[in-house]
Amino acid sequence: MPGATAFPLDGELIAEVLAPFGRMAPALTVTLEVAGSSPRGAEIRADDRLVGWLVPHGDDAGTPVVTAAVAALASVLGRLVAEQHARRQVETELHSLTTEAAAEQHRRIDDELALGRRLQRSFLTMVAPDVPGYEIASHYEQANEVGGDFFDLFRLLRRGRPLSVVVADVTGKGVAAALLMAFARPLIHAAIDNAARAADALERANRVLRERRASLFITALCGTLSLNSGRLRLANAGHESPLLIPHDGSPTRAIESSGSLLGVFPSLGLAETVTDLAPGDVVVFYTDGVTDARSTAGERFNEGRLLAAIEMSRAGTAGDIVDEISAAVDRFQAGTPAADDVTVVAIGRRARRRRAVGLRTSQRGGA
Amino acid sequence: MALETSIDQASGRVPITIVALKGELDASNFTELIEDVRRLYEEGSRDLLLDLTDLAFMASSGLVALHSILRLMHGEAPPDPEAGWGALHSLGLDVSGGGTQTEVQLCGPQGPVERVLTRTGLSRLFLIHPDRASAIAAF
Repeated sequence: MPGATAFPLDGELIAEVLAPFGRMAPALTVTLEVAGSSPRGAEIRADDRLVGWLVPHGDDAGTPVVTAAVAALASVLGRLVAEQHARRQVETELHSLTTEAAAEQHRRIDDELALGRRLQRSFLTMVAPDVPGYEIASHYEQANEVGGDFFDLFRLLRRGRPLSVVVADVTGKGVAAALLMAFARPLIHAAIDNAARAADALERANRVLRERRASLFITALCGTLSLNSGRLRLANAGHESPLLIPHDGSPTRAIESSGSLLGVFPSLGLAETVTDLAPGDVVVFYTDGVTDARSTAGERFNEGRLLAAIEMSRAGTAGDIVDEISAAVDRFQAGTPAADDVTVVAIGRRARRRRAVGLRTSQRGGA
Repeated sequence: MALETSIDQASGRVPITIVALKGELDASNFTELIEDVRRLYEEGSRDLLLDLTDLAFMASSGLVALHSILRLMHGEAPPDPEAGWGALHSLGLDVSGGGTQTEVQLCGPQGPVERVLTRTGLSRLFLIHPDRASAIAAF
């Protein structure tokens, strides 16, 4: 270090040399630890925290010296360290403050959402109506957030007390979707009670939803089942097509009919489909929470796995089929938080007793 | 699979902003897409082509995104996708009257995406072209 003056190490001198730097950076103290006659070096402390050592070099005679330049360097380093240390402290304090505030807010929101989920479940916890000659099964699994799925099964008050089924999904999630669901479910229910046909009911509900400037979309499937004949009339407003599982073992097929989702267009353009359920037939309704379910590997459940679950269980009852589908979805999305509500409803027309006995016999014979 | 968005410009009869989507459009990312389009509108884009060729999957929240984008490009500024339907209802008159808005057009939807658009009837809101070239020619 040309031009730098070397000072013999001497406590007083060092104090003198370092004093100005100490004034410049009050958080910094540079002290010298002297062990016997040979000092170990200059400690650099920031806020009383030891952050480093400056080890003095020796002159030709082996006398340790600290140059003013070295001391200055120690001072600058110490100040930088002190500033950095102070910054970290402030950041830590800020962080703990915001974390606390955020945690408090989350607790509040969680409480409200838990209440919302309980309310929503109360809408959906229902005893399936007792329908002689038919078996009805359902599964509803809520997503982590408040979701927008709903379904409804009830007997109509008109002649023959047909069974009405509604399966619907409010697109989007959260409280807004749940509120719209809470509004739409009784609206559709009342519309079906007062309309001659399912398609008319959905058109009526659509008009009200448009007037109400409801937010979000609703896809809805609405049907009426005449119990004696097994005739199922369906209208579909943008929802996933239901699946018919024929009793004779022929392939499961979608009951397709077109129509736009609710709340957007002035008219839905619904085409009603008619399906006659034979004894032993089962119809499965579901929401996109089934087919859109995602595995940890990022795959979607899709219709293929839904059909596979149906194949596994179609020899059983409507309840067996619903159980198999919901279990398959659970297994598939195990380890990932359920992103959407999962709803499955199955209606099976019971096989006639004599026929059932015959089937059992032939199964024994085949085994 | 996440969603990748790439933005391109093309000139047809009007300057066209092309937003190409790749991956999956679902509840985890649809608000980001809306934000991207909001920014494009603020930067002056007025005619938008959504290229769906590489979009493998669209959940129902993607429909909410498409609808919000439509409103944004018509100068509405929905603060969030759940804000309301006034704008679409005024557009709706157009659509149901046999006309279709042309500010936002779609191209290249593949099987699963195309089926969602058709099933829900949302395809009624958009001109849908088989590929990017024919879409650009149509603006």
